Amino acid sequence: MAAESPNSARKVVVHLRATGDAPILKQAKFKILGTDKFAKVIDFLRRQLHRDTLFVYVNSAFSPNPDELVIDLYDNFGFDGKLVVNYACSMAWG
Amino acid sequence: MMDVLHWDGTLSAKDFRIGAFAFAQKWESRNLAFPPWSWLPCPKHPWLAPPKEEGYLSLEKICISRPNEEEDIDQISQIETGEEETCCSGNEDVLDDATLVQSNHHELHYCDFQIVYSSTFRVPVLYFRAYCSDGRPLPLDEIEKELPACSSKELSKKKWTFITQEEHPYLKRPWYKLHPCGTAEWMKLLFLSDNANPKFEVVLELYLLSWFSVVGQVFGLRISFKISD
Repeated sequence: MAAESPNSARKVVVHLRATGDAPILKQAKFKILGTDKFAKVIDFLRRQLHRDTLFVYVNSAFSPNPDELVIDLYDNFGFDGKLVVNYACSMAWG
Repeated sequence: MMDVLHWDGTLSAKDFRIGAFAFAQKWESRNLAFPPWSWLPCPKHPWLAPPKEEGYLSLEKICISRPNEEEDIDQISQIETGEEETCCSGNEDVLDDATLVQSNHHELHYCDFQIVYSSTFRVPVLYFRAYCSDGRPLPLDEIEKELPACSSKELSKKKWTFITQEEHPYLKRPWYKLHPCGTAEWMKLLFLSDNANPKFEVVLELYLLSWFSVVGQVFGLRISFKISD
């Protein structure tokens, strides 16, 4: 798992992974501040894919709340130095 | 032994019961800020064959009113990201939300939740009803004001096709529920996307936890994922 770092400006590598019939992004890897909320990743995905309704989740079959901090998600679900975030375009509801 | 690769994302009634107990246990150990879920047996109907230990999970009187300070923080973080189209709402909507919260500041709203098995869709369904501290039921448009901004936006776009009101299958009173027809599909995605081939027992153990991580977001409810095991 990640080494402890007191540096609050620490960045997390996020790898966006298309699942189901979702389009694959050309730019699928980026860095984000650990102190940012997961909402920022969701926003980014929505803008890149031009879709409002996305189903977003991480390993261990978990869909993070947009208020979660990216660093917390990385500490719990990250491996190999990155946080893999899966996305699908199926409707979550209905 | 079920082959998870060919699994359709659904549960049998028996598996729902197992999954529900596993969920309630994890919830109790991780969610210290919330009361535990109770398992209630389904009331027996004299005209049906006795159900095999059917029941549902119940969580009562959860305060869903959000404090003013939280609303202000959301507003600030959205502006600072410098994005024109934010996840939750445009600037106008954020200002409206803040005004609404202030006017409802003194009245707290509560919600009862139930996780009920749907034999039609073979998945859990979240039922809920909200009310004021004096017990007065809240209609959906009032409940909507308490939801995180992302949820309200989804609701307003889909115009009530996202949440429906119906008679509760067991309690026979009007409750709202989140539509279950997409559930199997996204439950499959949740478990099968990372090329791991989990055993079905593992899937069952985690099923409701994963399910709740999605549906709980409508209400801003979450379970701590900081796993100690």
